[in-house]
Amino acid sequence: MPSVRDRNESAWLLPNDGSRTNHGLRRDMRRFADNDEIDMVIVGCGAGGSVMAQRLARAGWRVAALDAGPFWDPDTDWVSDEAGSHGLYWTEPRVIAGSDPVPMGSNNSGRGVGGSMIHYAGYTPRFHPSDFATYTNDGVGADWPLDYEDLRPYYTALEQELPVAGEHWPWGDPHGYPYRPHPVGGNGEIFLRGADKLGITAKVGPVAIANGRFGNRPHCIYRGFCLQGCKVNAKASPLVTHIPDALARGAEIRANAMVTQVVTDQHTGRALGVLYLRDGREHFQRARMVAVAGYSIETPRLLLNSASSRFPDGLCNDFDQVGRYLMVQGAPQTAGRFDAEVRMYKSPPPEVSSEAFYETDPARDYKRGFAIQTVSPLPITWAEHVAAQGHWGAALREYMSDYVHWSCLGSLCEFLALPDNRVTLAEEKDAHGLPVAQFSYSQCDNDRALAKAAQSVMEDILHAAGADEVITIQRYAHLVGGARMAADERHGVVDANCRSFAVPNLYITDGSALPTQGSANPALTIMAVAARAADHLTGTG
Amino acid sequence: MTARATGRFPGFDVLSQAQHWDQVTTDLITARTGPQPAPRFFTDGEQAAAAALLNQLTGQCDEPLGVPVMEMVDARLAAGETDGWHYADMPEDGQAWRETLGYLDQDAHDRCGSGFAGAAGHDQAAIIQAVQDAKEWHGMPGPRVWSLWTRYACTAVYSHPDAWSEMGFPGPAYPRGYKNAGVGKLEPFEVQDARPAEDPVGDDG
Repeated sequence: MPSVRDRNESAWLLPNDGSRTNHGLRRDMRRFADNDEIDMVIVGCGAGGSVMAQRLARAGWRVAALDAGPFWDPDTDWVSDEAGSHGLYWTEPRVIAGSDPVPMGSNNSGRGVGGSMIHYAGYTPRFHPSDFATYTNDGVGADWPLDYEDLRPYYTALEQELPVAGEHWPWGDPHGYPYRPHPVGGNGEIFLRGADKLGITAKVGPVAIANGRFGNRPHCIYRGFCLQGCKVNAKASPLVTHIPDALARGAEIRANAMVTQVVTDQHTGRALGVLYLRDGREHFQRARMVAVAGYSIETPRLLLNSASSRFPDGLCNDFDQVGRYLMVQGAPQTAGRFDAEVRMYKSPPPEVSSEAFYETDPARDYKRGFAIQTVSPLPITWAEHVAAQGHWGAALREYMSDYVHWSCLGSLCEFLALPDNRVTLAEEKDAHGLPVAQFSYSQCDNDRALAKAAQSVMEDILHAAGADEVITIQRYAHLVGGARMAADERHGVVDANCRSFAVPNLYITDGSALPTQGSANPALTIMAVAARAADHLTGTG
Repeated sequence: MTARATGRFPGFDVLSQAQHWDQVTTDLITARTGPQPAPRFFTDGEQAAAAALLNQLTGQCDEPLGVPVMEMVDARLAAGETDGWHYADMPEDGQAWRETLGYLDQDAHDRCGSGFAGAAGHDQAAIIQAVQDAKEWHGMPGPRVWSLWTRYACTAVYSHPDAWSEMGFPGPAYPRGYKNAGVGKLEPFEVQDARPAEDPVGDDG
């Protein structure tokens, strides 16, 4: 494989003078006219859309990627502050329902160029080979129309492009990482100590923060505000890993452009382009192909809002698959109290993880499993953890004054893909008069058993490390699914190459295409699926 | 009881380190410590009830931290800076705040013949506790009302540097970062807890 720089020059296109944005590259960006029929218009500049834009631009395609949010400048737009980072999240109206509704906003919804990877922790594990055949192996979830081997070269390539730091990884398909693991802080130290006492294998990484300088991206300064956007350019997000190279190769990134509809020809059934709102006006970008990458809520919403006489129930929804099988990882978070000071805020929240409980254990009464990782909540998110115990008033304030003594672990539980966990259109309309998404979510028995088991392992680890008390909050983490890939149109929306079954020139290249979620943070897999789809499109796969 | 939260980090003052922060962050944080704009979202009656509720929830009644929680919540609601989502069985956040503040006044009138803000501290606390314990409250799901109130209250109070000083958290860390991470390790500007064995879980806290 050619060197990283020969494949993706992003890190070398950023400034090396202490500022974080190459303003010249943005100023001189190629710009397409709305009536110019470009090769591909991409909806959303997150993990999936940005990789697609970079790969297609490299292959000489004329491509524009539209994003509803801003084109961030870390120097002026981001702060070392939780409350002040509200603008990083998708906070347009949404309705949540079901017996176990999933709160949106800061936890799982990104906004602007870079998408949710602007505020993700930075964990980039691969999926395990078993994730691609959970139905065959365990009778739960679904089988993918591709397998791990199909994604492996893309995992390897992207781990070099981000790049990822970590110890040799013994789980799933064992593999190494291009950068050595980061030093651990107090929270990582506690996790490693407790796991060691119990004989549970835990490893440092995998974290998409180079351990050392990478191109013109500086070394991490361990400031602890990874979830508020990296002001250092050390943590990987498409804004620094793929967008600069895409721009240099002639892609247009059109920020503050909210796509409202994919328009199709009623006779041929082909996509013609997208309607979008920008500067208070409606525009129509013509394109030979369309790739939707708006993530698991907005992608299904856009398809449903793109109904027409040919697709009366929503675009690509002839078989009632759009919006279904939307998954969210169960993410109970357990904290332990130590007399020593842990000060968990003094390192990146992603430090140490264990996938020792990832696979189905025949001795247990549940299928599939969970991962455990350090999480290091800052004061506002820590207050949520404390308040969840029922404390308020003086008791809440006293607990909060004890912050430096707490260590915190989080788990990612593989909650199963279920047909009724889905996005539909609500009666409620947004500021543009478009129906908002209603996301209905309910857990099944297997989900509850997993969350219980994960909590119990985290409590054991913290006790083994010396905690005298432990407290837990029930939470959710990442979203995937909602327009999944499948073997045929009766079971999903797109094929293994992310091409929709219903519209031959429409692709879905984001997390919504994933049929299962494993217990892994999804960013790397979303990028890998998009990179593979791009290779298929450019004929280089 | 609040006294147990104060004085654990003697001499530690987050704002004394502000010269080490980037300008964008400094401007944002220092604005929180100055005079706040007059409320624009809550009506006069709602302001009084909201201030009383938020001070109760964040433990500021006996020994105020001086965090203008009501003004900070009002500013968010006035600017529409909500999280966007709402439960299908709850109104959107702004409307939910108005309705629940009205119900608090109603409960206070029933209990002690005054508005919520005019009720004695122990009456306010009892009314609030009843909401936390309720499955349903004035036709709304109790836990979701509780979640709404505590989310906004905690986001406001724990974005304030005086609250950070009380918990030993240094706040912004760019461009300086941290050099001494690890259990029991301190930066030169951090202050050790003077009462490290005071575990809030292990006693009646």
